[in-house]
Amino acid sequence: MQAAVSIQSNMQVLYTDHHGWLCSWLRRKLGCAHTAADVAQDTFLRIIASRDALLGVREPRAYLTTTAKRLLVDRARRQLIERAYLAELALGIESAAGFPSPQDILEALQALEQISDALQGLSNKPHRAFLLHYLDGLTHAEVATQLEVSTRMVQKYLVQALAQVHRVVQD
Amino acid sequence: MTTGATQPQISKDEIARQAAEWVVQLSADCEEERSAARAGFEAWKREDAQHAQAAQHIEGFISRVCAVRDSADGNARAVRAVLNATGPHPKPHRAKAAVRTLALALMLGLPSWLVLQSHSPSHLMADLRTPTGRWASSTLQDGTRLTLNSASAVNLRFSESRRTIELVKGEVLVDVAHDPDRPLWVETPHGGVRALGTRFVVRREDGATVLTMIESKALAKAALRSSDAPGTDAMGTVVGAGQRARITADGVELLANIDPASVQDAWKQRQLVANDRPLAEVLDELNRHRPGTIRYNRAQLEGIHVFAVLPLDDTDRALQLLLTSLPALRVRTLTDYVVVVDAPALR
Repeated sequence: MQAAVSIQSNMQVLYTDHHGWLCSWLRRKLGCAHTAADVAQDTFLRIIASRDALLGVREPRAYLTTTAKRLLVDRARRQLIERAYLAELALGIESAAGFPSPQDILEALQALEQISDALQGLSNKPHRAFLLHYLDGLTHAEVATQLEVSTRMVQKYLVQALAQVHRVVQD
Repeated sequence: MTTGATQPQISKDEIARQAAEWVVQLSADCEEERSAARAGFEAWKREDAQHAQAAQHIEGFISRVCAVRDSADGNARAVRAVLNATGPHPKPHRAKAAVRTLALALMLGLPSWLVLQSHSPSHLMADLRTPTGRWASSTLQDGTRLTLNSASAVNLRFSESRRTIELVKGEVLVDVAHDPDRPLWVETPHGGVRALGTRFVVRREDGATVLTMIESKALAKAALRSSDAPGTDAMGTVVGAGQRARITADGVELLANIDPASVQDAWKQRQLVANDRPLAEVLDELNRHRPGTIRYNRAQLEGIHVFAVLPLDDTDRALQLLLTSLPALRVRTLTDYVVVVDAPALR
């Protein structure tokens, strides 16, 4: 109870002291007051969601900007994925299979974000090897031909990709 | 890595690596290896709860990827395209600056992307692409000029010995700057086009890549899938000005000749020059330039050929022009985004 009250008042202080400042910082970065206000709002929401981090923030502004920057990166990635995906769907719309349902689209977008997250940080060839094998269903030998490497190398790339996936998934 | 304190972390990574090795063997090309791996993997998982857990993490992820692959057709295709496009960018060397310049040019040419791209992680900008209905031209550092048609995407990989343009989607006009020491390749999964200093158009279609030579000549080479291409010319086929070639993974086939000047003009003026082209092909082309979609039944339109010059930057007008030259056609606008074309009189 005591803790809840103190978090709330902490939050209030953080908000009243720095919200305006964060908005103008974001506005300078983004060049759009509207998006800046949105992102500032989301930043505070994210901080509220991770309550314990709030107690004992020494440098509130640095903390705010770090959170906001992370949010911007996430947002940009999500938007980019979503846009690219919807554009791809629009391109394929005339094919016989028809348009996926909203439910399908939502699930695909979630899967896309997860997969893309897990594969982040891989270098080019392991990344391509993973997609060619597990997504496109090419055999190890076929992947080897595409990447102009040996089958043994393809297996090395795949092990590398899966080990990386494991690191991300277990967190 | 060397201190005792990180020991548990190392062994965890080592377990993950072992699990990954087993999982990779599970989908080896040879059935014997696969069944040996299945048995070995099961035994390995039983050895330790941590083993089983690592295996579960990895297999769970793969099954999610497979679920995407096997979901609704259009869906899976789009997911695949997005993942391929948002992957890491192959490291260019000399071309790094050129890539940046081109990325910048594309961004400036496409204001709607600007906000998005200005704060997106660089690896997500792996390819250079144009949205539907937009074109973009740019000059690379080596002087090569690229013009991306509507809804097209390329990756650039330049090295000391080779300039590679990977055509991911759509169509690109390449005006190759002459460099005898560094041939330029345009690559697709179907094969590649090698040039030293020429002008040509490469376009990706389903199952094939079509090369149209405007000037000089280039070498077209099929990807030659493994051993099943007996008698195919592994050295490639020389395609000269005015020639078109269809490249599939199995070989290169020369198509009917074209008039290089009209192809060049069409690109310059963003026109589609249809000289006895099947209507379905022409509608395909208009679709590529339209934010919405034109629906039609390919079988019903079979046998209808088009002789027309159509504006690609105004597909509504293009449809009107089609209607004037082909009175049997019916064009119905359902919404701004869906137009249905059919020929009821012919049924």
